[in-house]
Amino acid sequence: MGQPAGLSFEQAPAFSLPLRFFLTAPLFLLAAGGLLVWTPEALASRWTPQALALTHALTLGFLAMSMLGALMQMLPVVAGASLPALRLVSWFSHVPLAAGTVALMTGFLTARPAAFAIAIVLLGSGFAVFFAAATLSLARAVSSVTVGGMRLALASLGVTVLLGLALALLRAGGWTPPAVEAAMAAHVAFGLLGWVLLLVIGVAYQVVPMFQITPPYPPRLSRWLAAALFALLLFHASTPMLPGVVTPIVDAGLTSGILLFALATLRLQWRRRRKLPDVTLDYWRLGMASLIACVFVWLVVQFRPAWADSDAYPLLLGVLFIGGFAVSVVNGMLYKIVPFLAWFHLQAQLQARAGSIPTMKDMIAERLTRWQFRLHFVACVLLIAATRWPRLAVAAGGVLALSALLLWINLLSSVRRFARHGGHFT
Amino acid sequence: MTAPANEILVDARGLEPPEPMEKVMQVLALLRPGQAIRMLLHREPFPLYAILAERGYRHETRMEADGSYVILIRQSDANP
Repeated sequence: MGQPAGLSFEQAPAFSLPLRFFLTAPLFLLAAGGLLVWTPEALASRWTPQALALTHALTLGFLAMSMLGALMQMLPVVAGASLPALRLVSWFSHVPLAAGTVALMTGFLTARPAAFAIAIVLLGSGFAVFFAAATLSLARAVSSVTVGGMRLALASLGVTVLLGLALALLRAGGWTPPAVEAAMAAHVAFGLLGWVLLLVIGVAYQVVPMFQITPPYPPRLSRWLAAALFALLLFHASTPMLPGVVTPIVDAGLTSGILLFALATLRLQWRRRRKLPDVTLDYWRLGMASLIACVFVWLVVQFRPAWADSDAYPLLLGVLFIGGFAVSVVNGMLYKIVPFLAWFHLQAQLQARAGSIPTMKDMIAERLTRWQFRLHFVACVLLIAATRWPRLAVAAGGVLALSALLLWINLLSSVRRFARHGGHFT
Repeated sequence: MTAPANEILVDARGLEPPEPMEKVMQVLALLRPGQAIRMLLHREPFPLYAILAERGYRHETRMEADGSYVILIRQSDANP
């Protein structure tokens, strides 16, 4: 017998609490696409104001928004410990995150210090609330490889947000002290390779075997990978203070860890028991292929160091990691989480007529999810191409916007089905 | 009149979530007093236990030699 994970109908959070995160996230993805159509010069380099606004629309508005909602839902199930004061945490992290991201994007686009100031207050307080609640929950949680990954991901989020707040403060004040470059590098590294990657890894240990009916991840890998990556990130952030020979070793370590995870996941998925087509599986495969492409690009640049200084190189890595990997995996998971929650809450609320509710698969039309995957895939291809041929940026943005819109419509359709069958949200 | 077996078999091995749970919930609605569900699954269904307890059912889980699980579900006040 095992311990009861908190998925009882009474303990689960009300549908609306995580749902608001999942319905807001695609709107930021849409904004990112729109921004790219409006100002295609965003892709001239990663440092243009538009590129920074675009990056944060994706990382904060889409990725962090979805991941916070997912954690809110998954912590009770996986860790056996729910977040305290769930309703308050939901309100006081969702609204500040959404408004704060808009303020930050405005700050980047208009260079107004006031916008940065508002962003700092909103994002700082929103993340603080969520961070405090998640820390309490994870401290009480039953340890597992997934909980371990979540803890490290959350620690990375803390570092990322603190550095981000400091950087925004500097930008608002117009100062650029010399340490700023190191701070920016650490902000990006902890944000992408720490928060995003470690959370995906931790969650993958649960959901890949569960949803895709694969064998579990190799225990030696799942025990050590997240901690090893986190330690390497700490080294990576300290490289200015360490002898120069350390840097390539640390980078090679990080790259190997990423490659290991991607290959292990693809291998498990190849050995899955039920070989039916599944959009989420395809999103994961696209994500893993993008990770491998990142590693490949990085390797190529090791042999052609001159390319490291080009504007296209970091942009390409960014597009591959954020768009190809992170957005893909999150997009795929949204197509499982939202329909599951809609089904679960209908099941809970309409006990007596259990046979009459749609199954999870009926919540969203599969055909439309398949179309949205195609749009997303084309958007990724165009974005990659646009780093080399900037004329394609407008098309890339347009397809990205369409993909985001269809994602939003698809998620909404499951919510409408939920309501039509008599479900209530609170 | 008793059914040939007092158990309804739900073979959910290889089904992806939440089909196993969906099947069990459907069968629960059809259970007659004294009947049990014999559920076969490739994982231990922790999320199901809390729901069963809430609805007044108890369960017994056994792992088979091949690593799959057999879960017997009955009403809490029924005789074993």
